[in-house]
Amino acid sequence: MPERTIRVQYYALLREQAGRSDETLATSAHDARELYAELSQRYPFTLPAEMMRVAINAEFGEWSQPLKAGDAVVFIPPVAGG
Amino acid sequence: MNALRISPFQFSKDPLDTAALQRDMRDHTCGGFAAFEGWVRNHNEGFAVTRLEYEAFAELAEKEGARIVDEAIARFGVTRAACAHRVGSLALGDVAVWVGVSAAHRDEAFRACRYIIDEVKHRVPIWKKEHYVNGDSGWVNCERCAMPAAHTHDHDDEHEHHTPAPAPDYSRQIALREVGAEGQARLRAASVLVVGAGGLGVPVLQYLAGAGVGRLGIVDADRLEPSNLHRQTWYALADCGREKSTLAAQRVNALNPDVRVESHALRLDTGNADRLAEGHDLIVDCSDNFTTKFLLNDLALRTCKPVLFASVYQYEGQLQLVRGDDATACLRCVWPEATRDGLVGNCAEAGVLGPVPGVFGSLQALEALKLLLGLPGLDPGEMLIFDLVSLNTQRLRARRAPDCEAHRRAGKSVAATVPLELEIGFGSLAEAQTAGFSFVDVRDARERADDPLPFPALHLPMSKLLANAATLDTGGRYLLICATGKRSAAAADLLRSQGFRECRSLRGGLKGLKAPA
Repeated sequence: MPERTIRVQYYALLREQAGRSDETLATSAHDARELYAELSQRYPFTLPAEMMRVAINAEFGEWSQPLKAGDAVVFIPPVAGG
Repeated sequence: MNALRISPFQFSKDPLDTAALQRDMRDHTCGGFAAFEGWVRNHNEGFAVTRLEYEAFAELAEKEGARIVDEAIARFGVTRAACAHRVGSLALGDVAVWVGVSAAHRDEAFRACRYIIDEVKHRVPIWKKEHYVNGDSGWVNCERCAMPAAHTHDHDDEHEHHTPAPAPDYSRQIALREVGAEGQARLRAASVLVVGAGGLGVPVLQYLAGAGVGRLGIVDADRLEPSNLHRQTWYALADCGREKSTLAAQRVNALNPDVRVESHALRLDTGNADRLAEGHDLIVDCSDNFTTKFLLNDLALRTCKPVLFASVYQYEGQLQLVRGDDATACLRCVWPEATRDGLVGNCAEAGVLGPVPGVFGSLQALEALKLLLGLPGLDPGEMLIFDLVSLNTQRLRARRAPDCEAHRRAGKSVAATVPLELEIGFGSLAEAQTAGFSFVDVRDARERADDPLPFPALHLPMSKLLANAATLDTGGRYLLICATGKRSAAAADLLRSQGFRECRSLRGGLKGLKAPA
């Protein structure tokens, strides 16, 4: 898979662990699951993908959804604080 | 000595036996006894009154009444004190309320007696329905009979009590074209249950009470702690240790005595959820745990009552509206079954900046009012994410998951969801793959051999389609492909009936792709 430029946003615990709330990066990851695995090499993420949701281009999607250049990917952990 | 301590504040449906009440005040260490009796009189604000009805929210009222009597005993050092209040229907001249105090000396007996009656009128939620000579009747909140008691400043009372309390005035919101008198009447007729009276619940209750929502229910099992106050700024340090549900109900009452408020000092569970939600039009989730949130989600699906959810984390939060219908996403459509408390930190573990729940609670109040007024807002299922560091907001669309367990448990049919169009056209298979589709080839083996697909695909010929459907993911985005688009459309239809909601058929089939555009 050739490298594509993708915008990623982190929320909650992921934002803390990544130390940033967003970034634009080049990746050859085929889908969101591969992208998360790739980012887990770079950041000390502790949540497994199964415990979170991913949204692609403002829509909740599947982890297996293929990524394309210019996609905006948001990783969202569940939060419950009140 | 009687080992059982009878509550010093009691309601009575029967006429008060003031002689018996007074006997209980006798004590040989006391040199004085003072009593006050409130009677039903024949007029109020110029109207002739024929009889009265009193109604109280007993649980809250008794506790608050007992607290007032205890305060008076501690404050004035009197020996005994008690208060009894009538509920139900009273005739002219009946004793509506009785206060008795015995003390070593008369001065503290008088002062404690005065303190108790003023505080009871100010703080105990009792409603009075007056029946007028002309046949009309009206409810009057007794708290509006009394201004904040002057002795709270420990001065001699200078009878500020005679200044009538101002009435709630909604003119600033009625001035909005979208509200008007009709909208105000809608708010007055509305009833909202607020689950959680903490960081989110405080602004929700403040704005709903301020707006004149007719009835508010408050559920919170916790007692106020000093660590709550940086974000729950409605309360006072001196309130710590008291039940938040009671405190919140008092604040609502002080802010707007027109609001009927019910407080429940308990935790929402499967056994009480339906009873607590009864009679409410809308539920606002201001809880801080998934157990409660999923209980409310189930309740929404069971009863079709909308629930407005919010959750915060450090500097950000999420807002979602669950309608509880067949077609739109619920909390379980979004979050995996495995989601539970302890997965990510709560306010205590992860920390939170005070205004963050303030912002989200305000957004909940805003959305709640818009819902009640019929104004546009958050779409059902949609999640609003607001990062208060970068100030970025995102609105993420969530679809009703075809395999949602919560929907299934509530007996919601899959067929009732709004279906995607069965057929979809593409210029090339590469385009379809970029759009996120996985390919399912429904042609038979011979056709595949003659004209193989240039992309990886699952092979599920029509004859084996349903037998092999289990290999598919119910939430997967599948594009079904055949030679002309006829079989694939039939196959997609069949799979949809089995819950594969995202199945679609390539319009025109492979022939359509090869035909010149």
